Amino acid sequence: MSESLQVQLKKGVLEMCVLALLSGGDNYAYEIASRMADAVGMGEGTVYPLMRRLQNEGLVTTYLVESPSGPPRKYYKLTKSGALALKSQISDWKAFEVSVRKILGEAT
Amino acid sequence: MTRNEFMTRLRQGLVGLDPDYVRDVMADYETHFEDGEKSGRTEQEVAAALGDPGRLARELRAEAGFKRWEEARTPGNMAGAVLALLGLATVDVMLLLPFLGAVFGIFVGCSVAVLVMVVVGFALMIAALFPGLAWFGLTGGVGMIAVGLVGAGMVALGVGLGALFALVTNLVIKLLVQYARLHFRLINTVATQEV
Repeated sequence: MSESLQVQLKKGVLEMCVLALLSGGDNYAYEIASRMADAVGMGEGTVYPLMRRLQNEGLVTTYLVESPSGPPRKYYKLTKSGALALKSQISDWKAFEVSVRKILGEAT
Repeated sequence: MTRNEFMTRLRQGLVGLDPDYVRDVMADYETHFEDGEKSGRTEQEVAAALGDPGRLARELRAEAGFKRWEEARTPGNMAGAVLALLGLATVDVMLLLPFLGAVFGIFVGCSVAVLVMVVVGFALMIAALFPGLAWFGLTGGVGMIAVGLVGAGMVALGVGLGALFALVTNLVIKLLVQYARLHFRLINTVATQEV
């Protein structure tokens, strides 16, 4: 009846993971989608609405790169406010993780 | 599902949106299929990993509606954002429906109340111009002035309440949009697990 803890956890960290991925270098959607699908089991189709939302919120921008085979490819790049958002999300995450670990430590 | 079926159903789901926006979205998914096939997956595998095109279209439609409303807070765009919310709600967030219904009811009720107040206020102000009527037991000039002032007061109060009410409505919809955005992620992770 209740959702698995995993699903709950994933939904909370999706945006942070995508931003973190982009902080390691610009990337295109297919690559982001496969990486996220492999790593956290995110639905590949989800990447596009998510990227659009991040773009609307000014956390990422896009640019086109000519491709030797086929049409130009759209790359996503982290903006300054995207990097700031990532930083604050990571510190939130770390603080959260520490408190959870503390409580789990008391439980065992 | 084949690539063609996926793209057709996605396009159907996006009917009515800005053509440039639809072209952009369609190009995104076309590229995804091409990249997928280049890395050795079949059309069916890629389509299955992408998920239900109808659901994706609803989310993209909602996001487009929210964005338009955030750019220009006009009544038309607000109606669009509410409709987009309802589009998500009817299928994905049944829980929200009674709440949205209540919000809508309150919205209509307050609008009518404010409108009636302003109209009655104006009517009183006009009626005050006609002497010879007995107002509040007062006759002549004093009664006319009293009624005129009451009318003006009602108009001012109506306008003030209307402005306050617009602010509150703005806030409620903003919160709803935020809630829906959070929900996207939940819906999708759940959907992925179902597949």
